[in-house]
Amino acid sequence: MWIALVITHGLLAFLLLGAITHQVVSVWAPARAKAGNFIARFRAVDSANYVNAIIVLYLATATLGSVIYTDYRITARLTLEQGHFWKSFGVFELKEHFIAIGLALLPAYWYFWRASSDDDAATRKLLTTLLAFIVWWAFLAGHIVNNIRGLGT
Amino acid sequence: MTDRSRFGVFAVTFAAVYAAIYYVALANNWPLFSYGPAVGEWTLFNHPASDGPTMYWYGWIATSIIAAGLAGLIAAFLPGKLGARLWPGFAWLVPSCAMAAIVYLLSGYFTR
Repeated sequence: MWIALVITHGLLAFLLLGAITHQVVSVWAPARAKAGNFIARFRAVDSANYVNAIIVLYLATATLGSVIYTDYRITARLTLEQGHFWKSFGVFELKEHFIAIGLALLPAYWYFWRASSDDDAATRKLLTTLLAFIVWWAFLAGHIVNNIRGLGT
Repeated sequence: MTDRSRFGVFAVTFAAVYAAIYYVALANNWPLFSYGPAVGEWTLFNHPASDGPTMYWYGWIATSIIAAGLAGLIAAFLPGKLGARLWPGFAWLVPSCAMAAIVYLLSGYFTR
């Protein structure tokens, strides 16, 4: 069962990573002309449409991760400690704290995208960037630790 | 600076207070509850499990949600336009600082 949960967690994280990356690129480098090539089309998405999906995916991924975390704590983490993988261990510790702080950003993130006034553009951009950083960190940290000691292997 | 709705004031306050309280709860180990995954044991506050490791992460989140929720409600219902004058940048600045402080707190893992 844990393997199925980890795979589902990974797939949700992958969807979240795609959505938040689209959004952060489109707020920092919005396409100003008709999108032609792949990069331009990547930048040209309507960022506001991603907000609800990102919030739902963040909550779903974090909730599933918090369930899997109980098994990680009594299996994979011991392997990291016994193998002295301290840097990977630290990266994963940071992941859990960053994800927890990311939860606090969601109401403000939703509010400033919904408000969408020009006065709030900088706040919207920086909240999105911070959330994207957290999602990328969490994705890479989870991937690294799973490569060291996948659950159930 | 535009006038904010009560929810906007709540959201900015919640993000800032949650992040600050989370750091304090982590640094001082002040969880609302603890969990022992090996024995499936939930206990109030900081209490080691009877067997195996103890998890405090859920408890730190709970501590932060309650404190930030209360602070957010108070700010949202402050009389006049006090809450509406809140700088919206606190919503990303305080969490960014909390994350940097957590990196410093855990830096020992990267210097071993």
